[in-house]
Amino acid sequence: MDQANKRRGFFSSFAPPQAPPSATTTVDVPATPTVPAPGLVSPYLNFDPAYITPDTGSDFIFPEGASRQRGRFELAFSQIGGCVFAGAAFGGVNGLYSGFLETKELTGAAKRTQLLNFITKKGASSAQSLGVIALMYSAIGVILSLSRGTEDELNTMTAGTCTGLLYKSSAGWKKCVRGGLVGFSLAAVYCIYTSKDRLKTILSKD
Amino acid sequence: MEEYARDPCPWRIVDDCGGAFSMGAIGGSVFHGIKGFRNAPTGHYRRLISSFESIRIRAPITGGNFAVWGGLFSAIDCSMVYVRKKEDPWNSITSGALTGAILAVRNGTGAMVGSAIIGGVLLAMIEGIGILFTRFSAQQFDPANVMFQEDPSQLPKKETIFGNSPTYQ
Repeated sequence: MDQANKRRGFFSSFAPPQAPPSATTTVDVPATPTVPAPGLVSPYLNFDPAYITPDTGSDFIFPEGASRQRGRFELAFSQIGGCVFAGAAFGGVNGLYSGFLETKELTGAAKRTQLLNFITKKGASSAQSLGVIALMYSAIGVILSLSRGTEDELNTMTAGTCTGLLYKSSAGWKKCVRGGLVGFSLAAVYCIYTSKDRLKTILSKD
Repeated sequence: MEEYARDPCPWRIVDDCGGAFSMGAIGGSVFHGIKGFRNAPTGHYRRLISSFESIRIRAPITGGNFAVWGGLFSAIDCSMVYVRKKEDPWNSITSGALTGAILAVRNGTGAMVGSAIIGGVLLAMIEGIGILFTRFSAQQFDPANVMFQEDPSQLPKKETIFGNSPTYQ
């Protein structure tokens, strides 16, 4: 390979246009054997094509009904932030409603201040609790998927159950178990919803 | 972290809010865990209980405060991207200062100025470290550098056991 031709590869857009390399260099041998020289093939193409297309099926196409394309860690912060926002919105509306109920007899600035207090306090507290739940779920899910090396429904179910148990762990055994059950059922509903295509194929086979 | 990249702008607010909440909640767990462990009646069991209670009550509050900071910061950042039509370190620095000022608005003008300065300096440091890091890591991917090293004519002549004679393979 001549040196001028090789160097053109890097700064091809800056280099002045050069004449194409003469046909006598080894690079310009045609890819398919021609009539005058039947045995001469470009050395870069002279190999068994079975190496590039193995018959084990395609490798890079995701199977249908795959539960998730993006990794858990990548989604974690968005999920936590979404939960914090949703909790703040829900708590704000809830605080506005209960503030109107509580401050019926007040008027003017006192009523306004009371309403604002209700909205901010309820909004903050529900944003905090939803955010903590999302944080626990994401942390457990990321740890599970990193330690097991796979990403499947078992991770989701385990993370949901553990989140419920952990969130209610300070409220006594009964509430703790109830929290775990709630987490388990929510995770199960989510798993059934996300993998319903696969469930359909499994059920139709039988 | 190799799979983590920043989202495009309106969703970045949610993303940053979540990141800040996690940072605050986890950091607050450590901080309030230690604080609750120290501020407790004697006995290891009681200390552990106090540490756990302290985490349970106060870590979400720290996380919430961080989340407010992160969400407001990111909202101002995105608004500035929308207004100025470009993304540069000045956006982050200005939105850090503005966030500090807005969150201290109930505490008077002096406190507003103080926390605006703190926010701006903090964000300027973060951006500066980021720029330095990018510059150092970019040296590895400099195409001119790579070409200079890979061109065989630039390499010194190889000394073989047969002396300095050229080898024909």
